[in-house]
Amino acid sequence: MLFNSVDFAVFLPVVFVLYWFVFKNKLKAQNLLILTASYFFYGLWDWRFLFLILASTIVDFFVGIFINKYESKANKAKLWLLVSIIFNLSLLGFFKYYNFFVGSFIEMFQFFGYAIKSTWTLNIILPVGISFYTFQTMSYSLDIYYKRLRPTSNFLNFAAFVSFFPQLVAGPIERASNLLIQIENKRSFNYNQIVSGLKLILWGLFKKLVIADALAPIVDDVFNNYNTYSASTLILGVTLFSFQVYGDFSGYSDIAIGTSKLFGFELMSNFKFPNFSRNVAEYWQRWHISLSTWFRHYIYIPLGGSRKSKLVSIRNISIVFLVSGFWHGANWTFIFWGAFHAVAFIPVFLLGRNAVYKNTVIAQNSYLPSIKEVFQVFVTFAIVTFSRIFFRSESITASFNFIKQIATNFHFENYNHPLGYRMIDYYILILVFVVYEFIIRKDERNPFKFKSKIVRFLIYTVIIFTILLFFDDGVDRSFIYFQF
Amino acid sequence: MKKLILKFALYFILILLALEVLVRVFHLAKDTPSRYVDEFEVEKWKPNQEGFSVTGNRRQNFSEFHINDKGFNSYREFKPTKEGYEIALVGDSFIEGFHQNYYNSIGKKIETIFKDTVSVYEYGYAGYDFADQLHLINKYSRDFENIDLVILGLKFTNDLDRSKYEVMTSRLALESPLNRSLKKIKLLVYLKNIGALNPITKFFSNIKESLLVKRNTNKKEKDSTDHIEDINKKIDNFKSLIDLYGFDKSNYYLLIEENKTPQQFLKYLTDNKFKYIPIGEKLNSSSKNTTLIYDKHWNNNGREIVANEISKVVKKL
Repeated sequence: MLFNSVDFAVFLPVVFVLYWFVFKNKLKAQNLLILTASYFFYGLWDWRFLFLILASTIVDFFVGIFINKYESKANKAKLWLLVSIIFNLSLLGFFKYYNFFVGSFIEMFQFFGYAIKSTWTLNIILPVGISFYTFQTMSYSLDIYYKRLRPTSNFLNFAAFVSFFPQLVAGPIERASNLLIQIENKRSFNYNQIVSGLKLILWGLFKKLVIADALAPIVDDVFNNYNTYSASTLILGVTLFSFQVYGDFSGYSDIAIGTSKLFGFELMSNFKFPNFSRNVAEYWQRWHISLSTWFRHYIYIPLGGSRKSKLVSIRNISIVFLVSGFWHGANWTFIFWGAFHAVAFIPVFLLGRNAVYKNTVIAQNSYLPSIKEVFQVFVTFAIVTFSRIFFRSESITASFNFIKQIATNFHFENYNHPLGYRMIDYYILILVFVVYEFIIRKDERNPFKFKSKIVRFLIYTVIIFTILLFFDDGVDRSFIYFQF
Repeated sequence: MKKLILKFALYFILILLALEVLVRVFHLAKDTPSRYVDEFEVEKWKPNQEGFSVTGNRRQNFSEFHINDKGFNSYREFKPTKEGYEIALVGDSFIEGFHQNYYNSIGKKIETIFKDTVSVYEYGYAGYDFADQLHLINKYSRDFENIDLVILGLKFTNDLDRSKYEVMTSRLALESPLNRSLKKIKLLVYLKNIGALNPITKFFSNIKESLLVKRNTNKKEKDSTDHIEDINKKIDNFKSLIDLYGFDKSNYYLLIEENKTPQQFLKYLTDNKFKYIPIGEKLNSSSKNTTLIYDKHWNNNGREIVANEISKVVKKL
């Protein structure tokens, strides 16, 4: 079930009414409803994958209890932690990476002149959101192991935490210390919280249906036919892809956070206007925050973080980015994408600039950014956008061919979509979107923070109107990050 | 909770009203003329109506229509005489041409090619099949006797499903008081045109399908035999329509996209000395698009090509 579907538009109010009317003030019943709704929501993709979630839930529920039980016996606790890690990574390894590893081994042997028939690859369907919920359950066991959290003894609550439908398939990857605690505690109907949730849902739908879906056919055309286009068109294509993937994923996150608010939950922010980052380090503090912080807490810091020598820190940074790339997909393109970001991040780290923009935003105390900031944002956006060539291409060869085409066919040509799309509409759309995001840049959780009710009403109307202006019934509506 | 529901309802209504205003201000919804069935049981538009046809979410195509005295979209009135050289184009929405300004139609393009020495009458109406076309010619025989050349647009896959003419009640149902009232809500018309209502209708049809007992489980999939039978059936319909309403082989031409038409039918036409103007290859080989973006009707380039192909035939006569 997609957030941007009629199914969800029916499902959500039904669950909402049951939650606040029928099961009001009944915590256990509300949690059971969340669990049932979540399994229904997920089961509509493929009911067989429910067993995977259930298995992951059972394993980490008991692992949490046993780690806590053997709190004083470090080796046994570690052993139980390994059970969780091995189990979850095995799930991921089999469903997501098995064919990649087998295929890569075969290619490697073929490279050295050994012909191997590829009979070992399997026809495996990737369960939606597996990378998200396995990381969420692992974080639970890890937090208990590191004594940041006490395990829950309530299986229902834990199952609801693992499968919580608003963020199940594409995050934000929540920590038990935030979400599970909320599930265990009574929620009360909060008008302001619900209104704020509805606003985020509207803003998320706008980003998905307008920015992401409208640009998708143009991006698809450029990437599918890159060998026929000039550099200007290819740069346009990958720039639009930057906006597409941002609209798609941050739109999903906004809807997830907004939906959670409707049920009295506060999820962590996942995006904080990354397109206005002034260097690559700031970008990673603003893009897919729940995953970045996951890697920081559970890989980077345990490896020593930046507490040791510069060399060790560089190693740790490289590991984190390579793992992050690999997390995105079983393809060399993602590993290159991760490696590229490591290369872009390390100089910022070495110059000691990786935390300078941590708590500020562009034009922090002024209406307009300085020329220096504009330049920084432009350079960062260009670096990140360049990396998306790897992210979007079908294969690593295609990525390099795309770059080669930019270098060898370096001239300007006016882009015309084969179906005759009026491109000026899209350029205006992106420009207005960037300007609007700049206006609201200080609060990602409140996209309509205007005092005047009339202004707010006009913005709601314009947003819905724009959704209609760019609505395309023929476009594939699934979210890009579902494949991860 | 009460406050939430009330405010939500209020915002919902206000936003709908604001959207209705925006759709009207920017003229995003197409105007729909009224239709009727005349005394000869010919379905057509009520005479002397004007308006604009809109295609695409953002008015990518915007064109004016003008329904003449006879009930067809044209810049001219149809007054065939024995003296002048007149051509009639009979067909469906492609001939009707709501997708282009009525003063820049295929007929007008042909007239321009011949420097206004010929008059072209466009008897086009959305949904007209071959039965509609022959019935019209038959009933308006007094007019058509004076017309020198008649060209009938024929799409083999759509236009030969009937062996005789009957008034299409389903189309006329669009003129019901409820439908006419709904069409006054421009937002609704706009939503329907851009396909925004499709996910909703699909949702309900999916529910309906899943609730209904699978009655058609024995329905076999169409195979090649069915396909051949289908072609034969259509050719039979073609024959019976001609037997029923007549067809002047010397003055009548069919306008056909030959690349979308079965060879068997084309052979039948040739063998039986039916003349046709093939336009498929020309449309296909054009370097520019021949159809609109969100609509498969011919755009200006497509119409230009069709007008040229017709003119070539006329010049040879």
